[in-house]
Amino acid sequence: MIDFTPVLPAMMLGGVALLVPAVRMLTKSDKATGIASLAGIVASMLLVFYWFYNGSHMAVFENMLRIDAFSALFMLIFLFVALYVVIASLRFVDGLKHTGEYYALVMLATAGMMVVAMSMDLITLFVGIEITSLSSYSLVAFRKKDKLGAEAATKYFIIGGLSSALSLFGISLIYGATGQVNFQAVASAVAALHGMDPVLILAIVMIVAGFGFKVAIVPFQMWAPDVYEGAPTTITAMLASGSKKMGFIALFKVFIIGLVAIKADWSMMIGIVAIATMTLGNVIAISQTSIKRMLAYSSIAQAGYILIVLPIAVVGDPTVAQYGLAGGIFHMMTHAFMKGGAFIIVAGLATAALGEHINDYKGLYRRAPLMAFAMTIMLFSLAGIPPLAGFASKFVLFSGAIYASNLAGEQWLLWLAVAAIINSAISLYYYARVVKYMYLDEGPKDKLKIAPAFGVAVAVCVVAVILIGVFPDPFIQACQEAAKAFFLP
Amino acid sequence: MIPQEYFLALASILFVIGAYGVLTRKNAIVVLMCIELMLNAANINFVTFAAFRNDPTGQVFALFSIAIAAAEVAVGLAILLNLQKTQDTINLEDIKLLRW
Repeated sequence: MIDFTPVLPAMMLGGVALLVPAVRMLTKSDKATGIASLAGIVASMLLVFYWFYNGSHMAVFENMLRIDAFSALFMLIFLFVALYVVIASLRFVDGLKHTGEYYALVMLATAGMMVVAMSMDLITLFVGIEITSLSSYSLVAFRKKDKLGAEAATKYFIIGGLSSALSLFGISLIYGATGQVNFQAVASAVAALHGMDPVLILAIVMIVAGFGFKVAIVPFQMWAPDVYEGAPTTITAMLASGSKKMGFIALFKVFIIGLVAIKADWSMMIGIVAIATMTLGNVIAISQTSIKRMLAYSSIAQAGYILIVLPIAVVGDPTVAQYGLAGGIFHMMTHAFMKGGAFIIVAGLATAALGEHINDYKGLYRRAPLMAFAMTIMLFSLAGIPPLAGFASKFVLFSGAIYASNLAGEQWLLWLAVAAIINSAISLYYYARVVKYMYLDEGPKDKLKIAPAFGVAVAVCVVAVILIGVFPDPFIQACQEAAKAFFLP
Repeated sequence: MIPQEYFLALASILFVIGAYGVLTRKNAIVVLMCIELMLNAANINFVTFAAFRNDPTGQVFALFSIAIAAAEVAVGLAILLNLQKTQDTINLEDIKLLRW
């Protein structure tokens, strides 16, 4: 008899997702539909909490899925993202057709991310990624009359399909070279190969390209600004804060666990890609005039910061590696709130008929004081200004690189930290510019009316960002636990 | 018995044809077909490795990926249909409202 309890949160979310269109059909009310999906998400969260505090790590389905501190933490992050996206959508999709399907797809995408967080082998990893991707292609195309949406969805779909094909081919080569699909088994088979198998080099290139498209690292980043701009803004929030994190989990699992034995072949390459990603993202963000594109490029830059974890987490010293990985997990957690929150604010202001050009934000302080304040918090947190969450997580993340260069004897890792800190300074310019527009410049005087649903969704993010920034210790502790569980066989 | 290399060569050729098509063709439907070629090249790899290792895992993986590819075509054709409705074209060079 298989014990289904560990996978219950994901299964329940998927089940509720299938019921939600029925709720829409029976009640004919968009609000009731949204609230039914909120109930599903909260119930799933409670189940994850229950597992997290029962502290056990437990594998199911022949060790294909495992729930432990790592997967529980990421499931909570994904569910929080789904929570504030659904709350904001209560107003955002009000009056559109097919809201039942909209909520269902958001929840299915989240369920896919949860499968990736739990996955212990390449099959479940790939299936989870595809569940999320297929749902998010449809969500990007959700506003069917919108030309930009149709174009963004086409680009997203073609790039996404290409990336799936590349990563699947890479995975097939790993399977061919090792005969295994379980990450731990792949790791021992790769270690037993002695010396370099050229097939594995090809597999690494394919997988970096495939997953690189998903997380938008240089040189696979060109789709991201277009898609983020054209998608409905609540969905942009989900793509930037949910599905990007999922791509990172996939990279972590394949590289840090599966291919750790041949780290000499990939860690330098990933380090260079990380520096290129953060620099390009920040430099291009400076010249953007659309706030959504600016945030999209800043999201690319943040992906560069998170990417420095890959070379750090494979250094010889296990405590340093664990600290480095914890920094990456922590930054992914805070980024989910600050970037998602920023996009939700843009969505809320757009619903109140404010444009998405940066100039439209002039004098926002007088028109919507709370939203301007929340946006300031999010942008300063993204820039890494204390005492906000972005500062705490960047501190842990970059100090991980410095520890690794000092204690584990990999000198070049120091340059990753140096590049990341210089880039943070560059990024302050374009974040502060928006804040200057909002507070110091003159704009129209009329008040903007923000719907309460957006207020609640933004409040969730603001509270999270301030709470994590002021009391980072319990969160760092949780990330350390997660990193420890990640390395356990 | 046909040697393993023949199957792998077939898969590689299919993959390269697919990748070439994705990069050069302008018609979105043809690009979609090329992506399918690439996915099927990976499936041939899985089945070959599974057969020559006497290990069913690869075949299971191929079944999963066939199911996923089918779902992907369904979603993809719907998206392209919608593009045709809103912009009256499925030529990838003609869609440039968003700066690429």
